[in-house]
Amino acid sequence: MNIILAEIKKSYKILLAYPVEIAFWIFSPLLWAVPLIFQGKALVGSLSSENFGAVTGTPDFIPYVLIGAIISTYMASSVWSMGFAMRDETYYGTLEHILSAPVKPVYILLGKALFNSLLATTYVIIQLSICVLIFGLQITIHKIVPIVFFLILLIAGLYGIGFAAAGLTLLVKEAHGLLHLFEYVLFLFSPIRYPVEINPITKAVSIFIPLTYALIALRGLLLNIRFDFWKNSCILIGIDIIIIPLGLYIFNWVDRHTRQKGTLAEY
Amino acid sequence: MRGTEGTEKRGTEMRGTETLKGKILHYLRAINAENIKEWKIELKYKPDFIRQFFEPFVYLLPYFLYGFALLGSRNSEHLKSLTGISDIFAFIFVGYLIMGFLNTACWAMGASLRKEQWYGTLETIFVAPVPRWVYVAGMALHSTLHQGLIMLIEAVVVVFIFKIFFNISGLFYSLILLLLMISTLYGLGILVAGLTIGLKQWWVISEAVSTLITIITPIAYPLAILPLFLQKIALFLPTTYGVMGIRHFLLGEHLTISVPAIFVRIAVMLIIWIGFGLMIFLIMDRYGRKKGALSLY
Repeated sequence: MNIILAEIKKSYKILLAYPVEIAFWIFSPLLWAVPLIFQGKALVGSLSSENFGAVTGTPDFIPYVLIGAIISTYMASSVWSMGFAMRDETYYGTLEHILSAPVKPVYILLGKALFNSLLATTYVIIQLSICVLIFGLQITIHKIVPIVFFLILLIAGLYGIGFAAAGLTLLVKEAHGLLHLFEYVLFLFSPIRYPVEINPITKAVSIFIPLTYALIALRGLLLNIRFDFWKNSCILIGIDIIIIPLGLYIFNWVDRHTRQKGTLAEY
Repeated sequence: MRGTEGTEKRGTEMRGTETLKGKILHYLRAINAENIKEWKIELKYKPDFIRQFFEPFVYLLPYFLYGFALLGSRNSEHLKSLTGISDIFAFIFVGYLIMGFLNTACWAMGASLRKEQWYGTLETIFVAPVPRWVYVAGMALHSTLHQGLIMLIEAVVVVFIFKIFFNISGLFYSLILLLLMISTLYGLGILVAGLTIGLKQWWVISEAVSTLITIITPIAYPLAILPLFLQKIALFLPTTYGVMGIRHFLLGEHLTISVPAIFVRIAVMLIIWIGFGLMIFLIMDRYGRKKGALSLY
């Protein structure tokens, strides 16, 4: 516990050294949604579309894309922050120091995951508040519990992917390509920006991504769209049960492998 | 005496010409060396190099699919009434394709110095006997070639798969406009590269600048859709004229600004943006040295 807390404290101090990053992560996801709002207005001529309603359950595309944008904060956090968790230590020249500390590396990783999930949740809360105040998004109190429930399931699944990403960056070093690949799959095949049902290929691939079920559930709760609560919960729990141990296994395996090969300190 | 003076004068002139010619050649060699160095580094990480050719499709397809979900088809009557173009795929694709160069300016050029810092070679490069702008020009050359290749492949694939038809006669003017727009954007790239010296976290600057420009530039929607204040800001961006002008030449988009005005404005912007970018770069360079922030993380 002390190790995890120390890691959180350290990450927090590093974050405070780059305050522009905080503002960036609060506003950027919302700004990324703005072109989609303008595009919708240009194509349809109004702020709702019957066709869109037939596919998604809501004709109002603005709240749809805003929720997708907000939840994508977790995607960015799990892929980029976790993916670069160890690579950043290489850049800082501190990787060998932390890995030679008398603790299991997985605890350091858990500390980073916990810090990133707390940080992402703070960003999401601020973004939701902005949407409530500016865009009139309505969140009723009794829905907060199920929303938090689905968010926890989503975070767990995404950080399982994050563990694997953190490990693999130790192996492939120049991690941009690999992390982009993770991001591409999540970005293109989950309903962040558009309903994946519109295309048979995206629909088929989206079945394997936890973000899909979380977004269906969260949009359902926030926009009053009908969805199967138990089905989405069970699938997310099932994915989490597989992904988290798999991600940790990959991290541990890569950690061992790079130590044996002596490639840990390589650029 | 007069003869000797004349010979000396001619000698000085020749030496001056040789020095200038030598200097230019020296700079060109340095620019090319920087370009080749970047290619070598990129080719060293092959998966990442290949990945960059897929990236445009990943970001383009959601725009297509989102538009399709809104309309139930690829044609929009409302878009036609605003721009004269009903095919949403063609409209979005041309805008998006051109904007690839914005990412080059912001990301590739912005990251250039920060990457050298990570590699531990920034100081080594900065003590080379060439002015700083030569290094930046090398990055610009490399970025143009690399992004041009990505764009070409993207254009061929998308046009073939989605059967998008262009007005071929507009290609010449489109390329001129594209060239002007790219050159202007490199002013932005130089500026971002300069800011990273002082502000370090280059990607935040790059992402913030490119996000704001992406919103204001009429990529997937016409200018008229933007709120009035954003429409006015858009008129100061080269990407607005680049996207609108090229879409006009290739797809016949109705323009609210005349074609000559587009060329004049983008040419003026070219001078201002490059001048401003260089100025900020030099200021930040001096600031970095004075404060000793060059090697700081």
